Amino acid sequence: MNIRIRRAWELPDGAATPEAAYLGRRALLGTSAALVAAPGAAEAQWLFGRREAADPWARLPADLPDLPPAMRNPRYRPERDLSPEREAVTFNNFYEFGSHKEIWPQAIRMPVRPWTIRVDGMVEEAGEFDVDGLMRRVGLEERVYRLRCVEAWAMTIPWTGFQLSKLLEIVRPLGSAKYVRFETAQVQPHMTGLRQSWYPWPHIEGCTIEEAANELTFMPVGIYGRPLPPQNGGPFRVVFPWKYGFKSGKSITRITLTDQRPKSFWETLQGAEYGFWANVNPEVPHPRWSQATERLLGGNERVPTRIFNGYGEFVAGLYTGLQGERLWA
Amino acid sequence: MKLAALILLGVAAGLALVFGFGTPLGAVVFQIDPPLLNTLQAGVQRRLSPDLWDQVILPLLQWPSWVVPGALGLLLLPFGFRRRA
Repeated sequence: MNIRIRRAWELPDGAATPEAAYLGRRALLGTSAALVAAPGAAEAQWLFGRREAADPWARLPADLPDLPPAMRNPRYRPERDLSPEREAVTFNNFYEFGSHKEIWPQAIRMPVRPWTIRVDGMVEEAGEFDVDGLMRRVGLEERVYRLRCVEAWAMTIPWTGFQLSKLLEIVRPLGSAKYVRFETAQVQPHMTGLRQSWYPWPHIEGCTIEEAANELTFMPVGIYGRPLPPQNGGPFRVVFPWKYGFKSGKSITRITLTDQRPKSFWETLQGAEYGFWANVNPEVPHPRWSQATERLLGGNERVPTRIFNGYGEFVAGLYTGLQGERLWA
Repeated sequence: MKLAALILLGVAAGLALVFGFGTPLGAVVFQIDPPLLNTLQAGVQRRLSPDLWDQVILPLLQWPSWVVPGALGLLLLPFGFRRRA
């Protein structure tokens, strides 16, 4: 006899809220919020009249509606509460869109489909991958990671994506490959920062092949169960949770395996402050501020920062024998 | 005033000669001090207004480097040569 024990979270189909009612509720909430916010928004246009968009999750019609299902991986426990969803999608660093935090109204206008990722360099099977085909091919999971920004604030974010090592298994790096270079897309005219032609675009980030193959290195295509919006680096980015956030390249369009250490965008601009390794360490201050504590976004609580952002058990071994390197900046 | 005008015109000519006639002001500043513009942009966009950078300062930085000192020099020049009463 087949005995099936229903799990606590399982519900009959009939108990689910109809999609139309759910979407209608969101529309009603959105309209109410717009009515309440309208006078304030007018006042906020005090200088040059910024355009305000209402929904940081807004997607262009050509973008895919939803992510394939993904189960949360229980191996990675953040040991603190998730950051408020709204905070995570409206407080962003993405220099191609500006140097301030409220870049999302501009970023959400960037088209993210179709989106391809070229993987080339020192690999046996170089190729170009459509992001939707890639996520179906490798399968998705959800991981909750702590994120520590070099600016001493932090979030706790549920990312949906896949381990970078799965992509490396497909392209099969050559034995001579030592580094991985991540190249951010250049999408004109949406990325207004590209008008600053004197900077070394495209935005480059990099890591060693060992760091890339580490189980923590994750390629998110989603956040809070939804497709990754452009302001968070959508549709496809990398996350190194044990490094300062600027190392986690956004809106990636090309990955190159190489034997040359990539010089990153921030290393070129301010190498004294933003180096190649940039592993989190509370005992090594930034040249202009302490890294001993971090402010959790969504409240104003400050908590002690942990070495490797608390992921030392997974990654500390990557750095043995590298004491001569600037591992912490 | 005349001295200031002549210095600005000299600076404009020097920038055009050293860095090239069409090189943007931003590129010149970046060559001289790579972190400066990024720090300035962060200060302006985070503490004053994002649009002040995008709509006012960035267009100035995109102009050839000699334009701003040259224009200021030309503006000041008539005051320098005005006859005293």
